[in-house]
Amino acid sequence: MSFVSYAMILAGGLGSRLCLLSEKRAKPALPFGGKYRIIDFTLSNCVNSGIFDIGILTQYRPLSLRDHIGIGRPWDLDRKRGGVELLQPFQGWAETDWYRGTADAVWQNWLRVEERQAEHLLVLSGDHVYRMDYRHMIEAHLERGADATVAITEVPIEQASQFGVVRTDAGGWITGFLEKPKEPPSGRISMGVYIFRAAALREELLRDAERMSAHDFGKDIVPALVEGGRVAAYLVPGYWQDIGTLDSYYRANLDLLRPDPPFPLEDPRWPIFTPSTENPPARIGPRARIRSAIITHGTIVNGTVERSVLFPGVVVEEGALIRDSIVMGDSWIGPGATIDQSIIDKRAHVGRGAIVGCGEARPNRRCPEHLSSGITIVGKETRLPEGISIGRNARIAADLVEDDFPATGVPSGEALDRKGAVSHTADLVAG
Amino acid sequence: MIPPILVLILAGGKSGRLHALGRMRTASALPFGGKYRVIDFTLSNCVHSGLNRIGILTQYAPLSLQGHIGIGRAWDLDRREGGVRLLQPYVRQRETNWYRGTADALVQNRNVIADAQARHILVASGDLVYKMDYGPLIARHEARGASLTIVTAEDRQDEPERHGVVETNGSGRVLALRDRAPDGAAAAVSASIYLFRARELEKRLSDPGLGPDLIQDMIRPMIAEGLPVFAQPIDAYWRDVGTINGFYEANMDLLKPVPPLNLHDPDWLIYTPTEDRSPSLIGDEGEVTASLVAHGARIEGSVCRSILFPGVHVERGAVVEDSIVMHDARILPRARVHRAIIDKLARIGEGAEVGVGEPVRHREHPHDLHAGLCVIGKRAEVPAGARIGRNSIVDYGVRESDFARGDVPSGATVRARGGRAG
Repeated sequence: MSFVSYAMILAGGLGSRLCLLSEKRAKPALPFGGKYRIIDFTLSNCVNSGIFDIGILTQYRPLSLRDHIGIGRPWDLDRKRGGVELLQPFQGWAETDWYRGTADAVWQNWLRVEERQAEHLLVLSGDHVYRMDYRHMIEAHLERGADATVAITEVPIEQASQFGVVRTDAGGWITGFLEKPKEPPSGRISMGVYIFRAAALREELLRDAERMSAHDFGKDIVPALVEGGRVAAYLVPGYWQDIGTLDSYYRANLDLLRPDPPFPLEDPRWPIFTPSTENPPARIGPRARIRSAIITHGTIVNGTVERSVLFPGVVVEEGALIRDSIVMGDSWIGPGATIDQSIIDKRAHVGRGAIVGCGEARPNRRCPEHLSSGITIVGKETRLPEGISIGRNARIAADLVEDDFPATGVPSGEALDRKGAVSHTADLVAG
Repeated sequence: MIPPILVLILAGGKSGRLHALGRMRTASALPFGGKYRVIDFTLSNCVHSGLNRIGILTQYAPLSLQGHIGIGRAWDLDRREGGVRLLQPYVRQRETNWYRGTADALVQNRNVIADAQARHILVASGDLVYKMDYGPLIARHEARGASLTIVTAEDRQDEPERHGVVETNGSGRVLALRDRAPDGAAAAVSASIYLFRARELEKRLSDPGLGPDLIQDMIRPMIAEGLPVFAQPIDAYWRDVGTINGFYEANMDLLKPVPPLNLHDPDWLIYTPTEDRSPSLIGDEGEVTASLVAHGARIEGSVCRSILFPGVHVERGAVVEDSIVMHDARILPRARVHRAIIDKLARIGEGAEVGVGEPVRHREHPHDLHAGLCVIGKRAEVPAGARIGRNSIVDYGVRESDFARGDVPSGATVRARGGRAG
């Protein structure tokens, strides 16, 4: 009997389009929806689909992900057989290298697949928000005897150029696979959810390892397999969101507040598992006003919260206003402070009467491609001085203290970095 | 260095005074404070005090407690040595009996006590809400060479006979444990937390003439015999939640601007198995003030001065005030709930009103239901448009068809027809 029981989750990417949010963590470790991390959706999809043997390929800043996954207990993945393991690049006897791409990451860990004598392999991405029962796709894959099956979703055609766009024939076989095309022929895109026949994948990975390429599933492996004509498309209905950019991260969070949310987070048939923090229930003060918000254990709200997502341990003091914003764990919003259309990272401290997100929106000078829709972002553990005003599309680095801020505030479109900051590259090499 | 201590938590009693809330669970298993169960306070006190050898004596309706405790993981009590065990009565070759009282429960677990080889045995009631470091208690007990130290508290319920009035001399020596203070004045009551020297306890448990009750048959004789029995006051918040009023007031204390019991203290967290629930969602017409809200709640109506447990759904136009609403209960559109305790999975029908009308005492239990509180039992269904009076009880599992007519007058009880399970 051939069945699919092993999944590899790609979770190593740099996520540079997420700007500050991914400065200190891998994309799949991003806090999401009040109490989750992005990877919880894929992991929960796995266990809800009966897949309990999972390898997570990490490379970039794996620490917060490793702390989050632990031994996999919240997902029932602390098992004798199977379970979850993090696959970080390692030194080998002969050749040693960091993962050169997603395909190379799987190739370097191919022993894992061989040990299991897996005939098929599920390859998933750790930075998507969606619900999917992989069993249906597995069934279709086996029934058709495909070399690979690619999960497909429909997006508006104008967004398709950010993804891999597929062309299919009448029988549902993929005839063309264009990675990030300038002019997409349709909105049918690959979700980054694949099932491969292990032997076919092995052959292709071997070929790919020896040629000059990006060693990437979307750019190299899937298009090459498509040439062989045995790659099937599998259309998945429902919500799917790639968390690749600040805008998509922001939107996907606020989507949860819609009167018709894309999917209910509270669904006993498809729970999203995550390690719970030891926090008392949310405490709502006598003068609090909360409309259209997600709140979590450990939050204390004495001010006003509208259309926002508050993570565990956030404190909103009296007279403070939080609107259209995401405030991550244990941040403190001082009395009378205003947070508008902003993302406040963990353990930030917003001084009394400070204003974050005000004035006219001008694209950020440093990274106009990521910060132009009006969102202001405040890095982890930064302490904003009392009464300071921060414009829109502003980027305030992590770990700043009150003295780092100019008394005049930070106007729209500006970035404030910490002094003597180290670049990403230096960080990466230092490990 | 803490000497070896065995903790025995008394959690087996049927709490008749909880009425519908005490069906199918002991007071120790009562949901409390939005996500906890009452026994979490004692268990968390134990682990914070470094006591991790714990037995829980159960007898009445142990299942909800058993499911809650599991292997003790939430308290880090899933250990190779020690940890937590539930001690339910069991059948023996000779002389099989239910626990006939608190002392008898200890007698039947004499082997557990002997095997622990502890120096002292802490016997504590599981239906108390308090935070206490047992370390100083143990140190004082040792320093005084006490055979027994009785923790005392201030009586808040004006029912001293529930625990007993502790009479002491100037140096803390216990002179008597009475039902009431002789002059009726306010006095320190027993907090139902006892620290015994293990040798003394074991000696008494092996006496075949020992009666079944811990206070009457063991503690009072120890005092009368002149053994070194001391009192140790608890200076902090302490509440007995074995009555409807006690349970309600202790919950509402958490909503005070400066709560006398701080659940947010990072150095003394109250541990509990956290359920896998989503965050809470407050809708665009929702409103919440002065409340505690647990995960998985959906609020589309108005909630004020209330405690919502996981999964509670307050629908559009519904109003919940001064109430405790337990897991997965649903308040349907435009229903109004005032001063009510709504048990798990109960449903308040559209436009129904709970807690209205004259504050008449409950007919059968005037002593327990006189403060205007309404109790809606687990899985009970209140029909759409029904009016439920004050000081009334809608019993466990009552269905819409059990309501003779729409309204329930103050001070009445609605029971399930045919006496369904429970």
